[in-house]
Amino acid sequence: MAHGAKHVYTVGNEGREVFWNAPYELILFAFTAVAMAIFAYGLYRRWQLWKAIGKPEDRTDNAGARIQSLISNGLFQIKTFRDVYPGIMHALIFFGFFVLIFGAAIDATQFHIGLPFFHGSFYLWFSLIMEIFGLAVLLGVVIAVYRRYIEKPDRLGYMGTPDNTADDAIVLTLIGSIIVTGFLIEALRLYVNVNVDGFTWGMWSFVGYALSKTLTGIGYDTARVLHKWMWWIHTFIVLGFIAYIPWSRLLHIITSPANQYMMSLKPKGYLEPIGDFETAESFGVGQLEDFTWKQIFDSEACTRCGRCQDGCPAYLSGKPLSPKKVIQDLKTYWLERAPVVLAAQKAAPEGEEPQIPEPEKLMVGEVIDLHELWACTNCMYCIEHCPVCIEHVPKIVGMRQYKVLMEADFAPELQLTYRNMENNSNPWGIGAHLRQDWAPELGVKTLAEDANVEYLFYVGCSGSFDDRGKKVAVALAKILKEAGVSFGVLGAEEGCCGDSAMRGGNEYLYQILAQTNIEVMSGYGVKKIICMCPHGYNALKKDYPHFGGNYEVYHHTEILADLIAQGRITFKKSVEGLFTYHDSCFLGRYNDVYDQPRNALKAIPGLNLVEMDRSYAKSFCCGAGGARMWMEEDIGERINDMRTDQAIAVNAGTIAVGCPFCLTMMADGIKDREKEESMDALDIAEIVWNAMGIEEAAEEAPSGEAPPAEETSEAEAPKEEPSE
Amino acid sequence: MNIVACVKQVPDTEALIKVKPDGSGIEEGGIKWVMNPYDEFGVEEALKLKEKLGGEVTVVSVGPARTMETIRTALAMGAEKGIHIDDPALYNADAYTTANALAAAIKEIPYDIIFCGQRAIDGDMGQVGSILAELLDIPQCTIVTKLDVGDGKATAVKPIEGAQLVLETSLPCVITAQKGLNEPRYASLPGIMKAKKKPVDVKNAAALGISVEPKAKIEKMTPPPARPPGKIIEGEDPAAKAAEVIRLLREEAKVI
Ligand code: SF4
Ligand code: SF4
Repeated sequence: MAHGAKHVYTVGNEGREVFWNAPYELILFAFTAVAMAIFAYGLYRRWQLWKAIGKPEDRTDNAGARIQSLISNGLFQIKTFRDVYPGIMHALIFFGFFVLIFGAAIDATQFHIGLPFFHGSFYLWFSLIMEIFGLAVLLGVVIAVYRRYIEKPDRLGYMGTPDNTADDAIVLTLIGSIIVTGFLIEALRLYVNVNVDGFTWGMWSFVGYALSKTLTGIGYDTARVLHKWMWWIHTFIVLGFIAYIPWSRLLHIITSPANQYMMSLKPKGYLEPIGDFETAESFGVGQLEDFTWKQIFDSEACTRCGRCQDGCPAYLSGKPLSPKKVIQDLKTYWLERAPVVLAAQKAAPEGEEPQIPEPEKLMVGEVIDLHELWACTNCMYCIEHCPVCIEHVPKIVGMRQYKVLMEADFAPELQLTYRNMENNSNPWGIGAHLRQDWAPELGVKTLAEDANVEYLFYVGCSGSFDDRGKKVAVALAKILKEAGVSFGVLGAEEGCCGDSAMRGGNEYLYQILAQTNIEVMSGYGVKKIICMCPHGYNALKKDYPHFGGNYEVYHHTEILADLIAQGRITFKKSVEGLFTYHDSCFLGRYNDVYDQPRNALKAIPGLNLVEMDRSYAKSFCCGAGGARMWMEEDIGERINDMRTDQAIAVNAGTIAVGCPFCLTMMADGIKDREKEESMDALDIAEIVWNAMGIEEAAEEAPSGEAPPAEETSEAEAPKEEPSE
Repeated sequence: MNIVACVKQVPDTEALIKVKPDGSGIEEGGIKWVMNPYDEFGVEEALKLKEKLGGEVTVVSVGPARTMETIRTALAMGAEKGIHIDDPALYNADAYTTANALAAAIKEIPYDIIFCGQRAIDGDMGQVGSILAELLDIPQCTIVTKLDVGDGKATAVKPIEGAQLVLETSLPCVITAQKGLNEPRYASLPGIMKAKKKPVDVKNAAALGISVEPKAKIEKMTPPPARPPGKIIEGEDPAAKAAEVIRLLREEAKVI
């Protein structure tokens, strides 16, 4: 052991006596043991609570992919960095702490066991690195304090009220004081060491060195005593920090990486289908017990960072829903319930059902208000941007399933929609026999007439029944014909895809609709499908396989981008004016189709594309997803109007979309904002068909205010790389 | 309380209706059958009453085998049991014969109040409820938009031109339901599953001991004449166009 001895430092023999005036090893060990015990007990207690409630779910399969998530989201903080400012703030603390912990470990090992390499230039670099990262943590803490208590961004609160807790302040104080006391110890040590012969490398610890220069006037003996005290204070805070972890938001040091490891590896937006309607006794999530343990564990990983809330269209438009609040409210409720359940389980005699007292609060309706529950557009922003991989949407849909399937208690207008879907297989309730009437003049053949085609064009309800949607279907069909794509439709045999039923909690109706479609499609041996609605696209591509419907499914913008790249679509006209592309959630965030629609647009001669502030993965929902299309929007601002404002803000003349729901929403927004004279919403298929110049643009495409397409001399479509 | 709700299965309002070439009825192929919307109001009111006062709801319907679906729908909404009067001789029955069959079935069970839709959206006769009340010799309140039941009597609100009547009657009675009476519920999934196992008595005319001889017969059905296409009056001069409108209204449409 090195302590106690008088050291002579010489160049080439740089090092330090870390504990040279703190020879109370036993006391230190005793306190460390106490801190560790508090930490371990806290974690054990938590572990029991985690196990107390929730259905089983396997989240440990495919370790490779999970480790990858842990490395990218945990170690490299990829998702955290998506928001640069708070990302850097967290990175300073996170990486700083990471390094300091290793440093402290090396320090301690050197002290207790002795490390042969802990001197010389290794030591100097070590000192420098520790110094830099110590400073980083301190800077991070300062930013965090500034952000939380002075800047007060909305995301660190709810509806304008900060949700700061005492815990937040305690944690920031703990971290800050660990670093400050660390630097003070160093400064005192350096202050004393300066007198030692041959001590010349203090500058490597530049913060402590600078601090030590301010200590003039203190006697060296006083400094030694102060050092001793400071060292103990520092050590106590560190031990307190460790003990505090399981009892505070610091727990996320453990739960967040755990959640990142256990992230969903299913396709994005995946909802577990209900397996057995005939024998199950309850459907959806009515109580905590109906969640899986992992769904509950999610809330333990939540750091209240508010990223999810920051792009939630429901929240931003003034509705009571905030994904952060949902997770936090569930956590609070779980923390009330779990100890009760655990106690009952422990009290139950071996092999008997525990007598669990009924909850005092309804989870669905009281803990989670019904206005919150039904405000969600299933836009996926929250899941996409949660740095710790929390899955909000399946919880929301699960609770909706409970309200719809178990209690049949939901908005009357949605009941009507579901009846319409039941009786006429479309949400509007228009006679099912009229489904094939969207373009009799085009002579598109049904598969019943000719099943020998490459693609099924699944038109969907909007394309078949909605006047605006029909025009998109017509434009698309014309393009496909012109490009020589072999395709057919199902005509009256087609049915509603069921997306609105599924996302609105009516899984029973959804499965009936899905199965009916699959029967027809598989009956014709369909292999490839083109969808013009991202909702159908997502359902057919990712959910129909649950029921045996396995097809290659494309969205029409993918097909269009491809046809353009292959030169099978050429443009004879150029367009003018500013276009902006609105990412549909079910295309972008759900299926990562971001570039193909843009590529199709950019290929059009003269087309000027400008991005809105919120685009790509951060796109702002139009407000129609999650069955919201069919419900009244009577709280707060209208989401579609807000999105329209964002398009107006970039002076767009045309909002280009790839989704008939978005099309309706944007067209309504333009009307609400009285911009019909100067703005238009068009589907990419319409814009492409228009620019192909096969027909007089004015006559054919419903371009409204779209810039008058002029004949240009042989405008060549820029050749783009195929994006698939 | 013993509550009866009479239901009829009718084509969905949006269904494509084609008259058979011989005019004897409509083509049934491809039609989506649903519960008559006015009967749904009746079923909903029956269920509400049961939830308030206790008791049992029995649904009764006349029709072919497919009618069972509609009975199951009412059972899924919450009715306890069903009676299905299925007899080929009654498939195109007139209002009287239908009411007679319903009356015969209802007489066999205890009843305190009977709900019917004020009319069915297919035949649009609007008579079954009233005839049923007559055959059972009990009072009736028709086209009811609000109902209160208690102390052995029913108080019903019936809108009439420019006013509303408040009717009071003793029980048992027949109530025919009008839109506005309530919002029919959406069946819960456990309700749908349970409905599959609820008891439904299937009876024919012989079992009920009734005559199937109709009082009125459908002679012939013809589709309504196709609507002539609209006309757009072309021209530059508004005055000339207006004059042309007047001329057409007078000479072709003969409405002024
Ligand atoms: S899916 Fe969208 S609307 Fe729903 S909670 Fe998440 S961010 Fe909000
Ligand atoms: S759910 Fe995720 S994104 Fe939202 S506050 Fe919690 S950790 Fe942050």
